[in-house]
Parts: sequence; C-alpha cells; structure tokens
Amino acid sequence: MAHPTQLGLQDAASPVMEELLHFHDHALMIVFLISTLVLYIIVAMVSTKLTNKYILDSQEIEIIWTILPAVVLILIALPSLRILYLMDEINDPHITIKAMGHQWYWSYEYTDYEDLGFDSYMIPTQDLTPGQFRLLEADHRMVVPLDSPVRVLVSAEDVLHSWAVPALGIKMDAVPGRLNQTAFVTSRPGVFYGQCSEICGANHSFMPIVVEVVPLEHFENWSSFMLQDA
Amino acid sequence: MLATVRKQLRSHPALIPLFFFIGGGAAMSMMYLARLALRNPDVCWDRKNNPEPWNKLGPNDQYKFYAVNLDYSKLKKHGPDF
Repeated sequence: MAHPTQLGLQDAASPVMEELLHFHDHALMIVFLISTLVLYIIVAMVSTKLTNKYILDSQEIEIIWTILPAVVLILIALPSLRILYLMDEINDPHITIKAMGHQWYWSYEYTDYEDLGFDSYMIPTQDLTPGQFRLLEADHRMVVPLDSPVRVLVSAEDVLHSWAVPALGIKMDAVPGRLNQTAFVTSRPGVFYGQCSEICGANHSFMPIVVEVVPLEHFENWSSFMLQDA
Repeated sequence: MLATVRKQLRSHPALIPLFFFIGGGAAMSMMYLARLALRNPDVCWDRKNNPEPWNKLGPNDQYKFYAVNLDYSKLKKHGPDF
C-alpha cells in the first residue's frame, strides 16, 4: 500500500510493475535534466550583461536543437513501446479468477476446479483492529499463489467499476456485460491493496481490493477452507 | 516545388534534420496505420468472402506488431473446436 507522504510509485510485486517502475525512473530523469537545463538557461538569460541585438539566425544551433530533442524522444519512445507490448502478453495462466464489481463491493469467483465464490466488503472504520489500514482492508481477500501466472476476468454486475492494484501495475475497467482480461505473475508474497477506480456511486471510495499472495500450499489450504465454509 | 525546397535547403541546411525526423515519423505512422488496416483481424474489407475475420484467430498467429517475451510458435490452443 502507499505510505503517508509517498511521492513515487509503490514497490513492485510483479515483473511488469518493475519494468514500469524503471521506465518511470528513466522518463523522470530525462524530465528533470531538461527542466534543470531550461531553468539554468532562464536564469542565465535574465541575469546576463551581454546583449547582442543583431543575431538573426544560426544553422549550427538549429541543427543541434532539432537532432538532440528527436534523439531524446526516441530514447523515451522505444522503452515505452516495449513495455506497452510486454503488458499485453499473457503467458499461459495457471488459474483464472473472476472479479465482479458490484455497488459497493467486489466478488471473486475461483471456478477452475471447484465452485468457490465469495464477496469482499470493506471493513468499516469502527470495526478495524489495531494495525489494519483504514478504508483499505476487506473482510475476504483475493488469495493467489506466488510465482504462478494468474488471469483475472473483470466485469461488473450493475454500473462501471475498475479493478486496480498499483503494486501489480494493474487497472482494468469493470463494464457490465463485458469481460475484460488481465494477467499477472507475482514475484514476492505479501498483501497488496487497491481501490475501485471508476466512479460508481455513493460508496465508490469504500470498496477496496486486497490481493494476498501466498505460497502454493497455503493457497491450497485456503481454498479448501473457503470451500468448507461456504 | 521540389526545386524551391532544394534552393532553400542550400541556404538553410538546418532544415534537413527537420525533414528527416518529421518525414520519418509521418512515414512510420502511415505504415503502422496501413498494417492495422490490412492485417488486424478486427478489420473487415470483404463482407462477402471474408465476413468476420475476428472469428478465425489461430493460436499461433501473432497479430501484434512486436512480441517481447512470448514465442507465438510454441503456443497451443486451449479452447474446444467448434
């Protein structure tokens, strides 16, 4: 989840998110360099005593400030396109989970082997135990096995919602009557939070998504336990 | 018109990189648009002979422009045959 006063992206929990993080660092570094250069030029122009009123043009500097920005743009575009295509690749998922958006909770269905389905409501603030996160915790988490490619089919039962988990680099709109597919592989165990990302009514801010990544044996124990409970 | 441009280029050679990058960018976008129009299975040109090309997708076909990690020749079909 995000820390208080956090400025940057959350730590990555999947290889795709790592790539996005590194690309963000790369693009931001270029932005900082250009902004520093422009700021320096502004200060230099404003404070200089040299003024030549008779310069009309210069071919050399025009060539430089055409080629250099073009090269910078290419250096940004190539990694960006690579990540764009990388994000679309779905490598043989081991499990498919359906995430359905409702007003105002998510429901998850694991129907590959048995019929497991449950709702995930936000834990109200007055019911939180010490150490839990306000407006982020849910009563039932979406548990997934570590290191396994997971396919998530996102849809909605009533109005538009959006299933987002920043630590995994995922955001997928939940549209009624439409199946949207996204996939991820997790690289570390942990609990990752997200919030509904499409305005859906009064409690839009109060339907969080919690993904818990556990080793495979724990996932199997959890799913047996959830099936008994149902 | 080309003669005029050539004359102007001789006195302003700084315009050459401009032509190169803008022309290259325009050419690349047009080529990608043409690729999408001709190769994308979501596009139907011939309603009589090939009415719904999006229903004829094979598991080994690569429709996207660039495959980073996925080897399309190794993929198998998971769904049932209709």
